[in-house]
Amino acid sequence: MVMKQIALYGKGGIGKSTTSANLSAALSGMGLDILQIGCDPKRDSTRMLMHGQFIPTVMDLVRVRGEAPITLSEVEFTGFNGVRCVEAGGPEPGVGCAGRGIIATFQLLEKFGALKGDVIVYDVLGDVVCGGFAMPMREGYAQDVYLVTSGELMSLYAANNICKAIQRLSSRTKSTCRLAGVICNAKNQPNEEELVAEFAKRVNSSLIQFIPRDRVVQLAELNRKTVIEYEPASAQAECYRTLGKRVMENTHFTIPTPLEIDELESLAYSYI
Amino acid sequence: MSLNPLPIHTSRFGGCTLTGALSVTTHIRNTASLVHGPKGCTHHNFSLLHATGLDNDIVTLPALVSTALSESDIVFGGEGALLRTLDTVAERDIDAIFVLSTCIIDTIGDDVAAICSREYGIPVIIVPTAGFLGGTFQNGVANALCAIAGTAAPCPVNDWVNIIGEKNLEYEVEENYAEITRLLGMLGIPVNLRFVHDIAFEDIGTLGAARLNILREPALLSVGDYLEQRFGTPFIPTFPVGLSGTLSFLEAVAEIFGITSHPAVEKELLLQTDTLAGFSDLKGMAASFDPAMSDPDGVKSFYEVAEALHIHLKQPGTNGVSLGPGTPVGTTGVRRMLHRWRRQLHA
Repeated sequence: MVMKQIALYGKGGIGKSTTSANLSAALSGMGLDILQIGCDPKRDSTRMLMHGQFIPTVMDLVRVRGEAPITLSEVEFTGFNGVRCVEAGGPEPGVGCAGRGIIATFQLLEKFGALKGDVIVYDVLGDVVCGGFAMPMREGYAQDVYLVTSGELMSLYAANNICKAIQRLSSRTKSTCRLAGVICNAKNQPNEEELVAEFAKRVNSSLIQFIPRDRVVQLAELNRKTVIEYEPASAQAECYRTLGKRVMENTHFTIPTPLEIDELESLAYSYI
Repeated sequence: MSLNPLPIHTSRFGGCTLTGALSVTTHIRNTASLVHGPKGCTHHNFSLLHATGLDNDIVTLPALVSTALSESDIVFGGEGALLRTLDTVAERDIDAIFVLSTCIIDTIGDDVAAICSREYGIPVIIVPTAGFLGGTFQNGVANALCAIAGTAAPCPVNDWVNIIGEKNLEYEVEENYAEITRLLGMLGIPVNLRFVHDIAFEDIGTLGAARLNILREPALLSVGDYLEQRFGTPFIPTFPVGLSGTLSFLEAVAEIFGITSHPAVEKELLLQTDTLAGFSDLKGMAASFDPAMSDPDGVKSFYEVAEALHIHLKQPGTNGVSLGPGTPVGTTGVRRMLHRWRRQLHA
């Protein structure tokens, strides 16, 4: 099969890493070879797949080694059910250029030939603050971009902003990057699923999965596991497996049409 | 987008801010100019300064040091590299270090001021030089002059003048300076400090002593303003350009010193008449030149000299010899320009 590369974007703290890790775990359960790449200096994307371990990041090694060579086995770690895990890492908060760190990481992974397998899941820092964080959306990397959002206005606002980045990138001639769908990671607001589904429609996409708020997510996290591993029989685990199935079967890829702020606000207002 | 306005009244709208600043800092003897950025920024400027220096018979190599940043310095921040390089350079037997930033440094936001404010045993002076902020070569010159002036304290005023912001990379820098000293000599006024052209670091302390500052060109107005604010020194905004410009320069300097300019102006007028008489063979010839290539003051002086010699100036692109750009400083500058014109017109 052709390698699938997907990227998850969304507001900080919305649950991208939790969703990514559970999605990777679910996909691995389908017998697929998965690589998850955390693209955030906070480096906690793959932690639940690694049973609570903060793995050494690519940028950590570059910093320590300097010019000395690094091998793939030093930055790629095998987590739950064979999921391969990489963290880009980056500078300490407040110095340097984290965006350049992401670009450098991608170049290094490419050199290693690490970007292989059935599915690569890119878990990217919340705000696409500069070109570096749009790197996973560039030519040759993720073709399918998923937005993770709740029904809260600020979360939708962030998702809408990311639509602007996708729109810009996908309009380039050689670009293969498309918006593949919206994942609602719910906060248990009234009418939340309907609101996010309508938002998805308005930005020329669709709601691919509604993930209800469930205490099992916190319990799994406290036990340093994904829900898939911690409570495989739970409805929540089934929800992530459904997401995995839909992601693999998805053929609805679009160039998004971001909303004006007034339109976004009145949309949110109409679902109070 | 540019948040910084471009300097006006100069033909040097472009250029690298770093190069402009280095054209100043490398003219202070026994100091080092530390370029905080990738190696290439330093190499490129070293070559340029060395080559233009040779044109002006300067055989010493420009004292440049690079922090030689690599990709990981950009990702993790370049402050460590700056600190290490400063520590190393401070061990040399030199009088001061100038720290010049580059485009990438202001992009990633290194706190250069914090690193430079540590104790190194010798003065460390920051010159902001990130070119992408809208700056030009001219901004680099002005930033360097103001940063260096900031190290000098006010002092008792003498009866001398400072020369501010000579174009150290221009071919005629020494000839132009000689012309200014000749004109000032006619008024009996000596030069206090060439700020900055081939001086010692300790000389900077006398910057506030002059009674008058003479700027090289009006593009340095911001520097003139800064020096006036800091030391109370009035300034004349430009070197004298062209025939009438030279006479009014003598008048302006004399007025500030409260002396009469008449004998000097009379003498200079005779020299100008004599000079023009030597080029009477150019009378009636047709020529053109492109005003876009020259400073506004240069344009005025071109027309003035052409009119005095009855040379017919036509629109660029029409018939007649195209004269090259130039800004003739003083009467001897006009004479050199006329020699060039003669070569072009008789070619």
